Amino acid sequence: MRLLQPFLVRFLLLAGASGGVFPAAVAGATAPGPVVARPEQLTYGAFNFVVPNGDSFRHVLPGGVVVYVVEDHALPLVKIQATLRTGAFREGDREAGLASLTAAMMRQGGTERLSPEEFDQKADFLAAGIGSSAGATSAIATLDVITPALGEGLDLYFDMLRHPRFDEARLAVEKSTLLEGMKQRNDDAGDIADREWDFLTRGEMHYASRRITAARLAEISRADLAAFHRRTWGPEHLVFAVSGDVDATAILGELQRRLAGWKSAEPASPWPPQGPQFVPQPGLFQIEKDIPQGKVTIGEPATQWTNYADPEPYALTVMNDILGGGGFTARLMKRVRSDEGLAYGAFSQFGIGTYWPGLFEIGFASKNPTVALATKIALEEIDKMRSGLVSEEELRVSKSSFIDTFPRTFESAAATARTFASDEVVGRPHSYWTDYRSRIGAVTAANVQAVAKKYLDPGKLTMLVVGKWSEIEAGDAGGRAKMNELFGGKVKHLPLRDPLTLAPISQ
Amino acid sequence: MKRDLEKLPGRPRPLIAAAAMALSVCALSAAEAKVTAPAKPSAQTTAKKAEVPVGEFTLANGMRFLVVTRPSQATVMGGFVAHVGSANERPGITGVAHFFEHMMFKGSRIIGTRDEKRDQEIMEQQEKLQDKIRAAYAGQRVRYRKGEIADPFDPASRTEELVKLEDDFKKLVDEQRDLMVKDEFDKIYTEAGASGMNATTNSDSTVFFITVPANKIELWFWMESERLLQPVFREFYSERDVVQEERRLRVESTPTGRFDEQLNSMFWTSHPYKWETIGWMSDLKTLSMADAQDFFSTYYAPGNITAALVGNITLDQARTLAEKYFGRIPKGAKPVPDIVTLEEKQLAEKRMNAECDCQPQVSVQFHTVPFEHKDQYTLDVIDSLLNGQTGRLNKSLVLDQKLASSASSSQQSLRWNGSLTLAAETKGDATPAALEAALWAEVSRLQNEAVPAEELAKVKNQIVATSYRNLENPFFLLIQLLFYDGWGDWHYLNEWSAKTLAVTPEDVQRVAKFYFTPENRTVATYSRKAGTVAVEVPAELAGLPPQMQQQVLAQIQQIGTIDDPAMLEQMISGIEQQGAQIPPEMKPALDAILNAARAQLEKLKTGANSGGGQ
Repeated sequence: MRLLQPFLVRFLLLAGASGGVFPAAVAGATAPGPVVARPEQLTYGAFNFVVPNGDSFRHVLPGGVVVYVVEDHALPLVKIQATLRTGAFREGDREAGLASLTAAMMRQGGTERLSPEEFDQKADFLAAGIGSSAGATSAIATLDVITPALGEGLDLYFDMLRHPRFDEARLAVEKSTLLEGMKQRNDDAGDIADREWDFLTRGEMHYASRRITAARLAEISRADLAAFHRRTWGPEHLVFAVSGDVDATAILGELQRRLAGWKSAEPASPWPPQGPQFVPQPGLFQIEKDIPQGKVTIGEPATQWTNYADPEPYALTVMNDILGGGGFTARLMKRVRSDEGLAYGAFSQFGIGTYWPGLFEIGFASKNPTVALATKIALEEIDKMRSGLVSEEELRVSKSSFIDTFPRTFESAAATARTFASDEVVGRPHSYWTDYRSRIGAVTAANVQAVAKKYLDPGKLTMLVVGKWSEIEAGDAGGRAKMNELFGGKVKHLPLRDPLTLAPISQ
Repeated sequence: MKRDLEKLPGRPRPLIAAAAMALSVCALSAAEAKVTAPAKPSAQTTAKKAEVPVGEFTLANGMRFLVVTRPSQATVMGGFVAHVGSANERPGITGVAHFFEHMMFKGSRIIGTRDEKRDQEIMEQQEKLQDKIRAAYAGQRVRYRKGEIADPFDPASRTEELVKLEDDFKKLVDEQRDLMVKDEFDKIYTEAGASGMNATTNSDSTVFFITVPANKIELWFWMESERLLQPVFREFYSERDVVQEERRLRVESTPTGRFDEQLNSMFWTSHPYKWETIGWMSDLKTLSMADAQDFFSTYYAPGNITAALVGNITLDQARTLAEKYFGRIPKGAKPVPDIVTLEEKQLAEKRMNAECDCQPQVSVQFHTVPFEHKDQYTLDVIDSLLNGQTGRLNKSLVLDQKLASSASSSQQSLRWNGSLTLAAETKGDATPAALEAALWAEVSRLQNEAVPAEELAKVKNQIVATSYRNLENPFFLLIQLLFYDGWGDWHYLNEWSAKTLAVTPEDVQRVAKFYFTPENRTVATYSRKAGTVAVEVPAELAGLPPQMQQQVLAQIQQIGTIDDPAMLEQMISGIEQQGAQIPPEMKPALDAILNAARAQLEKLKTGANSGGGQ
């Protein structure tokens, strides 16, 4: 039996983290005197936040692996995250699901040295968080460990990265668990909406939206996983974010030693990853579900980053914030929720994609009879963004919110390391962060209207509602809106899909 | 409750469960640490007692403050807990504690309107109309009781008088809106660079919080004291609609939401934990401004509130600002009523068998103990033994027996009472009954076998690590201070670990035997509602086009309903005869149907049911 040593955290907490100690900023604001009548009359001391320099944390190991190290000795904890250039985009057309199952089984399936049970036992005894997962265009592997267990934690972590066993018995358990998850695909309206929205906007075939069928899952073998790991998990383009209670020089040595001899993966498929070629069909789509509330998503293709100095994305950021991104201060929330009480929340987001255009989306859930009214209001708000200037007050509130909350991006060592590592992964210059506040500050009301006109095209909007159509169609009791007044009065009823085959279920 | 962070409390929730196992700087004695871990001299110091330094003071009006100074932050996280939750409600006003939390964002006499005087007049007129509307709905409930209408709140069943009253009311709402500065409370904070404004209500407490740039902390004192000093519940009735939408979202439109609510209502016999924090829909539709004002004056008195600040602020700065701003609030006029109803001891097992659009699953819930009861620490250790990748439930039900797709335990010691719940979802052919038996076997193991030393050491190592992890995030530290204070005492933060690490294998057995008895349990089983069953695709169908898979699956489903062996035998011989003549691409489909028919025949012959065998 072994117990880990505890540490005296009391003093470490007071010592302050890597970011340095900020001046006691409130001192100037506590002057005696009466309470002012309104909060605008308060005066504040200056607070000068200096953006950390990404290059000062960047290291390149022999062989080209990039490591960002942000030290913070306040607590005896270390976090490591590796980002690799693999994911669903490296799957072949008939290999859906392979990337994510490979990543999951790297953690679940043991290593050449350790059975799955032994690996789990060691990780849990060290209280180490070790994980691996793959998305559409990248995969990550993480280690979260207390300092005294760092060495053993790194051994396990690299064992998982380089020598996964993909144990057959564990694979069977993992596959059967995934199958149970699939059976639940139609239980929650939100899950139905997420799936069908992906299909409506990116098509059913693109690797970022396709879903795996039970038949396809049954086909995936241990050999497939091992081959995919060999083929796509390698040290090229590998970026580490390391933070916490480490010494930079020492941890670089530890990583270098454990990376030695790791063979390259096969050349990647063309980089950057291919975006979907699918063109979404505008109009209203509905899926039947017997629930009291309709779940609504409305949207259209947006744009992608091409040049970080381009003022347009910053104007789009502010535009979306005023329309529906800014919570209670945004127009959608004001009208749909607080004026009318039609929904618990109503939000918009404007997706500026990395490798292909993201989506502009509005989402809310309203009781079936008021879906039409809430939708009508949302569409009106889109029109208003196009047809008029936002007020000076809206612009000021939105911009100062972005500017004054910006320091939180670098609030912890882990956040700082991951932010800069992510720059490296997507090819964003570190200067993006230094320039961010002035670029937001430069946005004008005219800029906001110009991007709204350019990007919010009412004719291209697709709407999906999951709910009970007989109640949704007629609209509200007060007769303020009906579904046939929207989207040209046309609706396409989509069938539910069989959860295991994803084939439409005839009704 | 606003925005995305909030949870519906009243049932075990991950945040709270994590908090319960989380914070405290652990105090292992040197003697316990048998093997010294690889040293990191700068950080490694053993300590008999270590704690998070929390400064504390109380104002003359009774309001308490907790302060944790973290000079490395560019921000201060600020919040307060009102010691009131849904347990303080009664039938008729269920949901008011949570609804009231929403109203706290509606501003004050000054914040939120352009014309303070007219604003007040309109609200008085609104209330007079609402009195008439409430009387009209009392009439609707009479019609409902007599069976004249199916739903007293259906807009289509309204009387002419009610339609007119509601139209008149809407005009007053529009007039007030013209005078309003919409969501000004939020706007002022947003423009100042504050973020994450939110609140959450549970059965015992209501917690409000926000993050403010460190140089603007005085704004927090201004705003929070303002809304406690002179709140105005504008947009009361549209917000009441918002809360109903929230109920539809969280309870009524989720696969198990309404069942979970009824289960909770069955689990508690006498205690007001019986109703969920969101409240019953019929109460939400009738809550009045008077209910809310009464609630505020009783429970939001400064003596019933504790504030906490974590970040770049010192104790002295906090005290100076607190006296200036919160010191203005007068003491409460009457004492806060205690909750006197004790939970009646459960005498017999309770059981609910539900059907829903959900994965078949089971839960077994036991009455345990409230916050800081001496047995809480042992129950927390039991919870840890059961949970996690190498926890007993995952090892036994998921990995070894392969009965479950997931299995977990959830231990909740709340202010007035507690419970421990074991839950699992099925896999493959396993039934909820089989899962229940497997969960019960783990209970027996806890009762009859001493926990091996290695396993207990694992749990204690995790406690040490988690305690550090929960100090990392200042926001989480704030939330823990407020939640613990809401349950009874924030000092739990610094005292819990020593008490938990002192738990022995004998404690585990004693507690397991005492609380985990058949008569103290409430069991819920959930089966998939007929017609929504997802059918597994047999491997031999993998290569077929999806449409054909569907057709074959439909036939297999039908075969599963045949209970006449003779009919099945006839069918099998028919298919076998056809076998040679069909095109090869159809062979897999035929094989699958044949296998299904044989399996069904076998099942009928052996008399096997689908498992569990109760």
